[in-house]
Amino acid sequence: MKGYILKRILRSIISVFIVVSIVITMIFTLIPRTKLLDNDQAYKKLTGDTKTAYRLNMYQKLGYLHFARIGEICAESEDPAGCQVNGSEAQKAALKEFEEKDYVIEYFRNKTPYATHDYTIPELIFHFWGNLIKIDNKNFVQKNYIDTGVISTDIEKKYYIGKDDNNFPAILCSGCEYKYQLYFGHGFPFIHQNKIRLNFGISYPTKSGMSTLTVINEGQGSQKAFMQTFPTGLQQESPLKQMTAKFKPNIDHLDSTRFTDNYADCESYYESPSMVNTSYIFGIISLIIAYALGLPAGMGMARNKGGFWDKIGVAFINFIIALPSLALIFFVRQIGATLFGLPDKFPMLGFNNVKSYLAPLFILSLLSLPGLMTWTRRYMIDQSNADYVKFAKAKGLSQREIFTKHILKNAIIPIVNGIPGSIILCISGAFITESAFAIPGMGKMLPDSINKMNNNMVITLAFIFAALSIFSVLLGDLLMTVVDPRIQLQARGGKK
Amino acid sequence: MSEKNNQDNFDKSLFEFQIADDSASEHIAAPKYSYWGSVFRRFFSNKIAILMLVIAITVVLFAFIQPIFSGYDHMKTPNINNKAMHYIRPFKSTQYIFGTDDKGNSLFDALWSGARNSLFIAIMATLITETIGIIVGMFWGFSKKMDVIMIEVYNVLSNIPTTLIAMILVYTLGGGFWQLIFALSVTSWIGTAYFIRVQVMIIRDREYNLASQCLGTPTWKIILNNILPYLISIIITSVSRDVPSFISYEVALSYMGVGLGQQFASLGQMVQKYSPYMTSAPYLFWIPVITTAVISVSLYIVGQALADASDPRTHMI
Repeated sequence: MKGYILKRILRSIISVFIVVSIVITMIFTLIPRTKLLDNDQAYKKLTGDTKTAYRLNMYQKLGYLHFARIGEICAESEDPAGCQVNGSEAQKAALKEFEEKDYVIEYFRNKTPYATHDYTIPELIFHFWGNLIKIDNKNFVQKNYIDTGVISTDIEKKYYIGKDDNNFPAILCSGCEYKYQLYFGHGFPFIHQNKIRLNFGISYPTKSGMSTLTVINEGQGSQKAFMQTFPTGLQQESPLKQMTAKFKPNIDHLDSTRFTDNYADCESYYESPSMVNTSYIFGIISLIIAYALGLPAGMGMARNKGGFWDKIGVAFINFIIALPSLALIFFVRQIGATLFGLPDKFPMLGFNNVKSYLAPLFILSLLSLPGLMTWTRRYMIDQSNADYVKFAKAKGLSQREIFTKHILKNAIIPIVNGIPGSIILCISGAFITESAFAIPGMGKMLPDSINKMNNNMVITLAFIFAALSIFSVLLGDLLMTVVDPRIQLQARGGKK
Repeated sequence: MSEKNNQDNFDKSLFEFQIADDSASEHIAAPKYSYWGSVFRRFFSNKIAILMLVIAITVVLFAFIQPIFSGYDHMKTPNINNKAMHYIRPFKSTQYIFGTDDKGNSLFDALWSGARNSLFIAIMATLITETIGIIVGMFWGFSKKMDVIMIEVYNVLSNIPTTLIAMILVYTLGGGFWQLIFALSVTSWIGTAYFIRVQVMIIRDREYNLASQCLGTPTWKIILNNILPYLISIIITSVSRDVPSFISYEVALSYMGVGLGQQFASLGQMVQKYSPYMTSAPYLFWIPVITTAVISVSLYIVGQALADASDPRTHMI
């Protein structure tokens, strides 16, 4: 069993790898990069060399190419000072070296050369996966700030046990990027770490410069301030999350009144939940409603197979399947708005009003009902022809007992298989529902970032959705073996 | 004695000689059965199906014929400067039955031109999906070597949301007619192929196929003559689900702005374009939405009824 699970996990990782690599290749090669800067207001205002430099710098940040300015070109030259002079022999030699490394040499208007290297497809894929996992270490500050000359003061490099702001013990670090490496409390899942982080690159042009993961994880709306005590002993109303303190090379006066060291770059608390959480709230509640209605409805239909309610149920299922989901969403939205006075856009009343949740929740559960009802009904009917049901009938059990105690237990197994998938995929949000209601969740984020040509965000979301869906299938299979010990996954390998 | 007398009394001229016919003795008296005849008899006994068929045919014919006569061009806006022509409400003018939009274009013409494109996309995508799916599925079900590879491909592709794949494909390939058809059909064929594979596996080892194999019938002939007829009702069911679902996909993708580009009219693109007018000019928004619903539901019900009728088990009287 362990070997099998390991094999499945490995396969799932390979699947995610293939899918995301294909997405990366397609996005980086098929989308004209010149279009990316179309919406950049700062770029439009620039002229001449600064414009060229800004463009190339942006392409480098987005991972299209490597942009080497004169400083970098001359860094390895034998005569760095002579290399800086345009047209000198030393410069020519340095440029030749770069040309041999597949760089294209071009000149600014003032004759200063620069070199660019467009990444090839394998390089692009390698870059993405190579930079994906970042492990914080105690040499981070030394390498990134002290060695590059950003700051001159030295910093002690060590891990130590300290206390977090709840007075729980925590593992702290000096010299790492994040001060708090491991800490407890602060809500689900109660153990938090900053040691290993995923890095998907930066978001651009929306929320320009922010890490894509921060964009979808950070709260939305206005900041929420509350009374807290800072390491200097200062008590202040502040929205800062002290546990997310990041190294800040240059601290200002305000920082020094709060923090005793350079770890002052904190995330903030916000009034409204993040995109992931928004999708999750909608997903989970609608899922509970769908299961609470769909399972009994499917069971009832199976019990009265061919009867009046069964026919009504089948008609309902067919109607929902046949109706385009967009039409259904707008019909329900309109009915909700005119008959019940519900808002037709989520931000009208916002997160704190129950009314803004009702119509989207109703639609989301309505959309997942037909599938659930069909399968429950199907499995129940299939089971009711089994021998053990005939035996139970012969023994004189009532119809109700047979259905609730015998058939249901067997019919529920394939349904259990789908539960982890539905729960995990709640994160992905419902693309259309969130778009129609303008709910600031993950589902709306994908079409939005596609329309804004936010490539890194598209790749991030594709990675998250692909990984979640592939692993939820694995989890579903495992859960099925827990519910029904008769199921052997290994033997299933050749389900012929 | 009396019997003999009776025989002698018959008039021999009333009888004539018959030649013993061996082939006639082989003939089995059975009621005439024609498969497609029964399918249509069964289908036309369903009153709702007939009604939906009439609606579906009307809508489809309208969508494919009306644009030829109206010559509607989505990109032309001849009345854009004539404010009196903007926002004419439906049924107020004989020339503009469904009224006019924000640029003074007839909604009636725009609707059918959009419906034609949406239907064309859905039908092409279904055709491609089903053709590739059926051909691959047939051989997939037969070949064990192919099964090993295809199962892996299926496991990867089927686990990823179709909307995600379609969105990213449309994004990278650019919004266009054939790009959208490609994006919709590029992964959906594998679902059909898997479905067919399972069905083929169920009937592949039945005795009559084993007999064919023993007699040396080539695989393609077994597939074509022995297995394909068996799958007709399954294929029709699958087609009847595909067309409405592709229409739904097109509408949803275009609504989110990642389907057909602005240069093409389509139902989804209309819904997206007119959604800001939901309160000020609701007819602009609701007529395309309702048309989409009518097309989808009628095609789906016709397909389901046809699928039921094409199952030979329902032909028993």
